[in-house]
Amino acid sequence: MGNLKTGHIVEAAIWLSLTIFLYIYSFEFDKEIEIYKYGASSWPRAILLLIAIAAIGQLAFHWRSGDGAGTSMIGQATADSAEDAAHESHHDSARWYAWTFFLLAIPFVYLNLPEWIAAAMSLEKPGLHTVKLISAAVLVAIYLIAIRGNHVGGILALPILFGAFLQDFGFYAMAPVFILGVMYLFGERRYKHMVLVMAGLFALLLMFFVSLLYLGLPAGNISPFYDFGTGLVNILQ
Amino acid sequence: METFNNFLGGTVALFSDPLGILIFFGGVIGGMLFGAIPGVSMLTLAAILLPFTAHLSPEHGIMLFSVIYCTGVYGGAITAILFNIPGAPENAPTAFDGYPMTKNGQAGKAVGAAVMCSALGGTVSAVIMMIATAPIANWAISAFGPPEIFALVFFGLAVASSVGAKTFWKGWLSILAGLLIAIVGLDPVGGIERWDFNMPYLLAGIHFIPTILGFFAVTEIFVQAEKKAKGSYVAPKLSVDFPTLAELIAHKVAVIRSIVIGFFCGILPGIGATLAAFMGYNEAVRWSKNPSEFGKGKLEGVISSETANNAATGAAMIPLLALGLPGGALTAMMVGVFQMHDMEPGPLVFINSADLVWVVFAAMFFANLSILFVGYLETKTIINLLRIPFQFLAPMILCLATVGAYAVRGLTIDVIVMFVAGAIGFFLRRSGYSVAGIVLGLILGRIGEQTFAQAMQMLHFEWSGFIGRPIALGLIIAGFLTLGGSIYGAFFKKV
Repeated sequence: MGNLKTGHIVEAAIWLSLTIFLYIYSFEFDKEIEIYKYGASSWPRAILLLIAIAAIGQLAFHWRSGDGAGTSMIGQATADSAEDAAHESHHDSARWYAWTFFLLAIPFVYLNLPEWIAAAMSLEKPGLHTVKLISAAVLVAIYLIAIRGNHVGGILALPILFGAFLQDFGFYAMAPVFILGVMYLFGERRYKHMVLVMAGLFALLLMFFVSLLYLGLPAGNISPFYDFGTGLVNILQ
Repeated sequence: METFNNFLGGTVALFSDPLGILIFFGGVIGGMLFGAIPGVSMLTLAAILLPFTAHLSPEHGIMLFSVIYCTGVYGGAITAILFNIPGAPENAPTAFDGYPMTKNGQAGKAVGAAVMCSALGGTVSAVIMMIATAPIANWAISAFGPPEIFALVFFGLAVASSVGAKTFWKGWLSILAGLLIAIVGLDPVGGIERWDFNMPYLLAGIHFIPTILGFFAVTEIFVQAEKKAKGSYVAPKLSVDFPTLAELIAHKVAVIRSIVIGFFCGILPGIGATLAAFMGYNEAVRWSKNPSEFGKGKLEGVISSETANNAATGAAMIPLLALGLPGGALTAMMVGVFQMHDMEPGPLVFINSADLVWVVFAAMFFANLSILFVGYLETKTIINLLRIPFQFLAPMILCLATVGAYAVRGLTIDVIVMFVAGAIGFFLRRSGYSVAGIVLGLILGRIGEQTFAQAMQMLHFEWSGFIGRPIALGLIIAGFLTLGGSIYGAFFKKV
């Protein structure tokens, strides 16, 4: 096994699995182009081959040198302390990864689950909206429980959850909650400060982008969030 | 004389337009400020502003980015000196001696040296850029066809693979991941859908703006979040104390050497300023009578690194404007600004948009000069904004990024793509991959595949056709030699 660790093997396995998965999918567009004899799939397959070679090369490097940095590399060792932060904060255990990926899955559950339930129950639009509201509430509750003890995972998942909610609940209703959430996860506990900063930042965003630039931000499509968003835009514009 | 007249024309056009003046000073202050805020960089600002440049004229958009580039490279030195957190890879060598100087109670002198040397290196580089870019572009029109551009992309990627990542292999995997993202969507020759997984969103390809916003701005917030989790946020404190004229004159050889090194490194597509800073610093150590003093707080270390990285900024515009090839992450975003205005950077820009080129050149010249004055004022006044705690800065940056990603096409899925890219960038960075490499791969991948297809059609699918084109052949050989050297280093040199 040389200097190999489980993490190195997992890393190589991820790259190689991705390569195999995308190679299989490349047959879907393996079509001839009259004026170009290499067709549409040669370039992607060449890139996949290089990825596979580099992943194996990386594995061989770890086998020989462990976690050491490469020679002649420019700008990493001192410029990027992300790795050190990971080790120092003990966020590189398998448990932490599993926990974090569970948190990251929550937004994607919201993006798909209500549609599946509505389709299974043959629900119309109002019914779908109700399912979405209930799903959002349940998933937020699960998120709040799951972030206890994993603030970094919580910060990674929160923006994606915010992005997943934008279409249905709108920027205007979600942004204040999102701003408060980020501040809280970054360790701020002075609630008066949090509310003041949130109000100031939200007002600045609205004044600059909505009033001044007339930028249409997502207003949502579920009542009462939609009504709140459009009402705010009417006042500001 | 013609160059001087063009420069005067660009200067008049820049300063006779109130909006242009506003954007110029906004870029100068914004670049310095974002470069100087620990945890974010000029790339964060550029990524946030990128979507909004669609509402500006091409002149204003490109000018804004070039100004941010000049002042942001300097701004990153402040965090390197004060907190040992380089604002960008090109400021990393500045920290080698700058941070020990802070610990020795000489922070002001180090920051002062960075102000003066960045201004000097950048201004000289801007002058050479004005003289050299147009002749190179004129030559490029006749000498550079698709085979040469493909060969240059290959060479640029080969060199860039050694920057930013922990190992050569991770450098390549980063670039290849970018090339992979660039493939999604329609193929450039036959318009065949590739890896769209029957999702209409992916048909048009993954848009580079949410991706860039995610990999730079959002990833940076996540990395800082992890640092906050271990409780290591340092409250900024600052003073400024310029080095004396005698001290600068004593280092004149280091300054001149770093300008020359910086400029020639800057021309290379892919890594420009980073290689310049490291080589400038390395040469200073190599030529020094007392090399053992470096790394312990030697003023010459800061001078060499900061002169070289700013000297590369002007040079990096040469491959961008003369050949359409970005020299780094920020110049790659400039390609994005061109594309948003249905323009392609390259030799024809000098014919079709000469006004734009000279406004940009004038802006870069004055931006570098302004580092001297605004940089001094900034370290005295605006720098107080650094006192904003990161927990208040983070939601502001995330909200701006959200608006920026959404504004591109009015799709909430772009916001999700951005945040997912941010999370992926976070995991890749903590594993030693380079997010700058991914973005370079993404931008150069599209250019690379297109020019490869055109080159092969042009050469009737005969690979030997490259032998008859000396520039393309030379670049491909240089690329393979670079690769060979890196592979040799990865396998046979002692780690």
